[in-house]
Order: sequence, then structure tokens, then C-alpha cells
Amino acid sequence: MKFAKTSIAALLAATALAGTASAEPKVLMLHQWATGSDAASIAKLGEMFEAAGGTWEQTAIAGHTSNTLAKLRADVLGGNAPAAVQLKGPEIAEWNETGMTANLDELAAAEGWDDLVAPELLPVMKPAGNWVAAPMNIHRINWIWGSTPAMEAAGVAELPKTWAEFNAACDMAIEAGKICLAHMSADWSDATTFETVVYGQDIDLYRKAFMEADLDALRSPEMIAAFDQMRLMVDNYMDDAIAGRDYDTASNMMANGEALFFIMGDWQIGVLTAAGFEYGTDYTCAQSPTDWAEPGFILNADSVVFFEQSDPDYVEGQKLLASTILSPEFQTVFNISKGSIPARLDVDLSSGFNPCQEIAQADLAASIEAGTLVRSMAHNMTVLQKYRGAMMEIITEFVNSDMSSEEAANLMADEVEAQM
Amino acid sequence: MAEAMSDSAHWDAEASRARRNHFISRVVIYGLLLIFAAIYLLPLAVVVMNSFRSLPEIAEHGLIAFPRSFEFDAWFDAWNSFCLNGACEGMRGNFYNSLWMTIPATIISTMLGALNGYILSKWRFKGSEILFTCMLLGVFMPGQVALMPWATILGSVGLSNSTAGLVLVHVIQGISFTTLFCRNYFVAIPDDLIKAARIDGAGFWRIFYKIILPLSPPILIVTVIWQFTGIWNEFLFGVVFTSGREQPITAALFALAGNQTNVREYDVMSAGVLIAALPPLLIYFFGGKYFVRGLTAGAIK
Amino acid sequence: MSIADHPSEAGPGWRERFSRLLPFLVLAPSLAASFLYVFVFTGWTLYISLSDSSLLPSYGWVGLENYADLWASRRWNVAYRNLFLFSAFYVLGSIAIGLALAVLIDQRIRGEAAWRTIFLYPLAVSFIVTGTVWGWLYNPTAGIEFLVRGLGWENFEFALTTSRDYAIYAIVITGIWQSSGFAMALFLAGLRSVDQDLIKAAQIDGASPFRIYRRVVLPGIAPIFIAVAVIMLQFAIKTFDLVIALTNGGPGTSTTFPAIYVYDLMFQRGQIAQGAAAAIMMLVALAVVLVPYTLWLVWRRRMEADNG
Repeated sequence: MKFAKTSIAALLAATALAGTASAEPKVLMLHQWATGSDAASIAKLGEMFEAAGGTWEQTAIAGHTSNTLAKLRADVLGGNAPAAVQLKGPEIAEWNETGMTANLDELAAAEGWDDLVAPELLPVMKPAGNWVAAPMNIHRINWIWGSTPAMEAAGVAELPKTWAEFNAACDMAIEAGKICLAHMSADWSDATTFETVVYGQDIDLYRKAFMEADLDALRSPEMIAAFDQMRLMVDNYMDDAIAGRDYDTASNMMANGEALFFIMGDWQIGVLTAAGFEYGTDYTCAQSPTDWAEPGFILNADSVVFFEQSDPDYVEGQKLLASTILSPEFQTVFNISKGSIPARLDVDLSSGFNPCQEIAQADLAASIEAGTLVRSMAHNMTVLQKYRGAMMEIITEFVNSDMSSEEAANLMADEVEAQM
Repeated sequence: MAEAMSDSAHWDAEASRARRNHFISRVVIYGLLLIFAAIYLLPLAVVVMNSFRSLPEIAEHGLIAFPRSFEFDAWFDAWNSFCLNGACEGMRGNFYNSLWMTIPATIISTMLGALNGYILSKWRFKGSEILFTCMLLGVFMPGQVALMPWATILGSVGLSNSTAGLVLVHVIQGISFTTLFCRNYFVAIPDDLIKAARIDGAGFWRIFYKIILPLSPPILIVTVIWQFTGIWNEFLFGVVFTSGREQPITAALFALAGNQTNVREYDVMSAGVLIAALPPLLIYFFGGKYFVRGLTAGAIK
Repeated sequence: MSIADHPSEAGPGWRERFSRLLPFLVLAPSLAASFLYVFVFTGWTLYISLSDSSLLPSYGWVGLENYADLWASRRWNVAYRNLFLFSAFYVLGSIAIGLALAVLIDQRIRGEAAWRTIFLYPLAVSFIVTGTVWGWLYNPTAGIEFLVRGLGWENFEFALTTSRDYAIYAIVITGIWQSSGFAMALFLAGLRSVDQDLIKAAQIDGASPFRIYRRVVLPGIAPIFIAVAVIMLQFAIKTFDLVIALTNGGPGTSTTFPAIYVYDLMFQRGQIAQGAAAAIMMLVALAVVLVPYTLWLVWRRRMEADNG
């Protein structure tokens, strides 16, 4: 084995001396989309990469992100960081600080990424000022989905715009004998619902508490009020079997008309389309309730980070992969099936995309204008994992117990503080 | 005469009472065993049945029901066409990867264990007891503690991301167990046997081949069973120290079972679970007798 | 007395010395590897737990700060408490059921091989599989609860994994299912090794089978109880795969365990130093169990040696 490795190394060195023009682009991508439609989307990336002349290899690790990150850490410690890794949010910055990430500025300048990519994403992809990651899409978290037949049966005319309207609609739903809000309790889904509540009630609270981890904001009366609304929803508007329910059961509850509403990010579009439901007849979408009357957007983006490589084949492969990811073709194909919208601002959504996706794109632009664009805490785009973990634990504990709002707010602040 | 009659009547009554008690106790014993057996077999039965049922039928009648349909599709899917890691080739690649990893690791760690056990039981030198106890501690190490150090070490010897590296990890971690079992077993081999061989001029290796090895099949089988099962079923290291096509079957299993956001294909999951569990199950099935025999000799001391 | 004390013949000096050293030389690689594995890794973990590592290991000294942070964390306290609860029930349960099964099988029943296989096979199965399949059984909408309700008992409840208070018992039950076969195997062989003469003497004295077990057999296998308890305990302390597959620490964080928290801290949260501190606390728990046991073993062996 060692002899083989030495000879290959010698061969590579010789090839490198002969000039990088003869390098064969190849890449190894580490990600956690092992099965189902996610894996199919990544498969498309692989196809496009190979069509452009590269050799595609991937390692997909199922389950919790911890497993993927464990492998990443093991690889980095072992001296061979993978060429491309699916990472997002503050983790990009953290890994960038280790100095092991690759620098894509040359390619970015050549292809004009600074102008093509949504401005909110730039600080995430360029944590220290230079490009280290390529964004694959933009997810919108703050959606509320409504079942058309269920809403009709309950006499609810349209999706609620404020939390007061939401509560009123739910009361009507309960009288009509329906479950108001479908939900499955897991740390990420509880946090998703909760952050839309906080965002909808008070944007400044959201910014301070969930983007800056400000302790006073976490403890504030406004946060307690948000927990109050959450408590109302959990106790009265959701059904009793939320713990342990899986995602598609919850989704089907809304899609089949058992429940009126479902609060979930835009990948729900992919799920609904795959299950054969149609926009309009079966479901409609709208921005989740906000008490302030403007377009709002909670942003989440999947991205691929590149680690510095010594093998020129991998270096070429990284550039090719980054270029492929940001190409309009990939952005279109990938996002149609995922339900998100392209990270490139100039892609036309009118063919093949779902009406909700077109609404998302329009709302994104409007939200940028109105200054209401934020990134998602529940989906790991804002604070460091150690704070996010602490916050999500308390939120999910709150949902699954009869903790008081005051206790929850204080606990959340305490736990975050303990990590500081 | 009357006394003899009453004696024999008395004897008959006692005998029949004893027979009745015996019968009752037999009923109780077998009854209890049956109840326990039912509980133990229930999960296996559920999985086997579900691997043959169609998905709509499972959705309608729940996970625990007699099959109303009987299809082999799930088995083909799991083995051949389940989409995992970008390729739709099922679990069979992962199955072979696990074989390539588990068999060498089991054989090497067992052989080393036998050798070490032989040395520590028959060639005791100063401090060998202490060294043995230190080696023993390896049995109790939790896996997460070792992950990052192993990653660093494998990287520095150039074995990261390879099956060979994984074999190395499992061998070293397995030596503690195998040495423990073998040593405790070999202690029972009479020293006189060895002394006689030495007087005849046999050296270290010849004693091992001619005396120890022929006597060791019971404990070797136990060790092989234990190691094979442990290494085959191990998830964390298997997934972290391999990439892409080389991932072991536990990675495929986790992908099948841990699906959070897509429709759960219970039938394919069941077939996959059975395929993954088959080798260790077969080994326990055929080696169970030796397992009990050897375990007691090895683990109790 | 070992063979090494009786050299076979007087031969050339270096060859003699070499053959004396040979066993040690053969053992050396395994020894070195084990030492590395146990002591170097533990030492490294200990050092990291006192350092400021976050995403990747770094070596700045921070003393016991990570331990303080760890014990101040609510989730760690829940995990440690769960560990005690689980260990107690799991060990006692496995011993009780393992002993019961062994006693039943020991009654000269027919088809012993079949019964033994039935109770042993769970050991062959990976924890992930066990957790997944038992998760199906516990599922309220498709598992046991669904089945029993379908049979007519409308109010039957068995949704352990979705209840904050009872999920831990789901893990206990599944854990016992998986491991009691191992306890059974150990007890069975122990029962078989009890001196038959003692039993016959007691039978002649007219003792009932129950009393024979209580007075003669069980005391005779007392060391096995302890061995089983120790082995089960160290399984319990390392519990990881089973919980991940069954409840993933939920609902909420009610079934989180130290091993899971170590994993999350080290990998999900990029707080390697605190993760190392938690790992050291796990090793401390293991030591608390193993050190007294080892000392007791040594003491016992010395007693046996003295008694001839």
C-alpha cells in the first residue's frame, strides 16, 4: 500500500511539473443527503459535473449532522480534508478560521459572483472577505401552508396575516372539529415554528436574541410573550401526538385536510409535489403571520465549502464544482425539485417552478428593500452551534412539557450564558 | 396383609402426587419459557413479516400484522436497487465492504488474542499480571474517546479513509477482548503438559502449534463469534473512517432506518435489516453451543 | 510456577536469552498497541479536557473551566441522572431475567439448543437495528398500541417513546431484551458448574427444589452475579447506538445520555474540550465500577490461593 502510494505521489508530482493544464478535475464531496429526493438532487449535481468533464465521487452520511461533522473532523485530523463539504452558516466561518479552506476569489471575480449572489449570503460565503463556499439555494423558513378544503370547511377565508388572525382562525377550526396546526415535535421543527413566532411578533427581538445571542433579549418580557403564544399553540391548536410523529405524517395531516395549517420551510413544496398534491386545489401558501405589515423573509441556504487541496486534480475539480453549482442550469434544476429558490438573483422562475417559489423570489427582493431580511437560527445560519444547541434544547423542552413561559425564557438565557 | 395394602396405597398416592407435581412444574416451566420466547421472537417475526408485505398493506394494517400480501420486491430493492450514496445499487456493495473489513479483522485479532493469551498464561514473567490488567482496560474504553486520536494516527501512517485502516483500528481495539478470553481459557490447560513438552525439547512455537492450538477451538469459536458480531455491527468507526463506495453495511442500514424527511419504506427497511443482520445471526445459530461453553470459561474469572 | 522457570537445557548464552525474551517480544506489539489505545488516548482526552479546544484540538491551558461549564449545563445533569436510572434498572433487570431463563433452561428441558438460540440471538443484532425495530413496536399509530387497540382494548396505552417521563423505560426494556441472553449464558454455565454432590446431599435431606436453589446453588454462583453486573454496567455506561436509534435523546432531551452528549459536544457543537471533559466523566464512572471489582478479584484469588 505504501509503495503504491509513493509511486502515485511521484507520478502526480511529475504531472504537476508538466503543468496544471493536464490536470483532470475530480472532486470528493462529503454531505448528508443520503436518501430520497435530497440524494436525487445531489445526483443531478454529479451528473452535471461529469458532463463538464469532471470525475465525481461522494460520501453521503445519513442521520444527524454530527455524523457528517465527525467524519469531516476525522478527515481533517488525518490530513486529507475532502475537496468539498456541505456546510452552512456560522460553521463556514469557524472552519475558515482554521485556515484550511480554499480561496476561490479568482474564479469568483471571473464569473462575477459578487453581483449575482443575493447580498445577505455574501458575508456567509465570504466570512473573512474571500470566497470559500458556493451557495446552492435560498430556503425560506417563514411559510405557513393551508389546506384548501379544510379551510373551507372551517370557514376560514384566507391564510392569517397576523398572529391575532391566526388565533382567531384556529378557534374557528376547533369549532369545526378540525386540528388547527399540524406539527411534529423534533428540536429543529419546534425551533422552526418558534422562530417564526418570535420573528412575526417582534423583528428586533429576533435580531437581538437569535442572531446576536443577546442575553437580555432572551430574558425579556417580549420573549416571554412569544413563549405565551407558543404555549397557546401547543396546548390548544396542535393535537396531542406531536412527539415522535414523523415528518410526512405531519405534512399529510395538512395536505389531506385533517389539519388547517402547517408552519414549515419551503422544502415542503418538494414534499407536497412528490406526494402528488397541487397548489390551489389542495394547498396554498403565504408568509407566516407577522404583526408588522411588510414582506418578511427568514433565510436559510445550503452551501458547499471547499478545503484546500494539494492534489492539482482536486484543485481543478473544486473550481469546476463551484462553477457548476453557481451555473443557472444547476440552480434551476436543483431548486425546482427542492422547493427553494436559486441563490443567483438572475434566474427566471416562470417555467417549472411552483407558484409559491415565485412568491418567495418576489418577497425576497421586497424584504431586502424593506430591511426585514434575517437568517434562520433554527437552521443554523446565525449563532454558533453551542448557543443554537442550547436554545433549541429549551424550546423543544418547552413544547414537550408544561414549563412556564417565564421559566423557558430564563432557562434559555441561562443555558446560552453557560456556553459563553 | 392389610398393612402392606395400606402401605402400597400410601405409596401410590404419594407417587401420583409426585407425578402430578412434576407435571404441573413442567407445565409452568414450559409455559414461562414460551411466554419469554414469544417476547424475544416478536421483533424478529415483525421484521420478517414486514419484509414480505407491500407498503400500502403496512400503512393500512399497522406494523404488527400477519401478511396479507407476499412479495419479494422489498428484498430485491434492498439488495440491488435501493438508492444510496448517489448510486442505486442497493446494499450489496456495502455488504461486501463489511465482509472485507470484518473477516480479516476477526481473524487477525483472534490469532493475536490466542498468542497473547498463551504467553500470559503459560510464560509468565515479572509484571505480566500487571501488563495483562492494563491490556484488559481496553475492553472498557468508550468509542467516542478514541475517534479523534485514531483519525490523527491513521492520517500519519497514510491509512486514513481506507478499509485497511479500519481493520487496524478494530484489531487493536479487539486485542483486549480476545486476549482476555483466551488467557482465561488457557490457564486451565495443565502446566504439566507444557513442562513435558519442554523436556522433550519443544520450544515456544512448537508448544503453541502442537498443544495449545489443538485444545483451543472452543475459545477460538467464542472469540470469533464475539469479534465478528462486534465489528460487523459497529457503526461509528465504520462510517467515519471510510468514504463513498467503501462504506460498510451499517452506514447503509442507518441511511435506510434513519430517514427523517421522506416517506418511510418499511418493507425495504425490513428486508435491509434482515440482510444486514444475517451473517451474525447465522454465526450465532451455528455456534451458539460453543458460545455458552467458551464464554463461561473466559469471562467469569 | 511457569515454564519460563524451567529452562530445558543449558545452551549458548545469547540463544538462551533470546528464547527467554521471545514470549515478551511476541507480546510486545500487542502490548504497545493496547497501551497506546488505553493510556495515550485517555491521556490525550484528559489533556484536551483541560484545554481551550473548540473546533479542532488546540493546546492552550484553561484548567477545570470545561468541567465547571459541563456540570452547569442542564442537559449534562439530565444525562448523568438518566445514566444512573438506566444502569440500575438495566443491570438488575438483565440479571433477574437472565437468571430466570437460566434456571428454567437448567431444568433438563427438551430442545435446550433451540431455547438457548432464541434467547441469545438478540446479541447478534446491531443496536441500531434493535432500536429501529423496537421503535416500530412502540409507535402509537402502527405498533403495539395500534395492534392491541385494534383487538378491542380501546384505552390501551403503550406509547412509551413519545412520553417524556416514560421514554427512558422504553430504553430499559429494549436494552434488557438485547442483553439478558448474555446474562443467561453466563448464569447457565455457572449453574452447570455447581458441585452436583452438594445438590444431591441436599435432595437426600429432603429439601425442596426452591430451597436447594436458595441455599446451595445461588450462593455457589455468587461470583457470576458480580461478573454479570460488572459487564452489564459497562455496557450501560457506554450506551449510545441504542438510544440514538430508539429516541435520539428525545422527547425533548429527556432521554439524553452521557455518551450522546459527548458525541454532540465533540462533533455537532464543535466544543471538543467540553466533550473531552464529559468523556473523562464517563471514564470516571467506569473506573468507579471497575476498580473495586478488580481489587475484589485480586483479593479473592489470593484467598483461593491461600486456601489451597
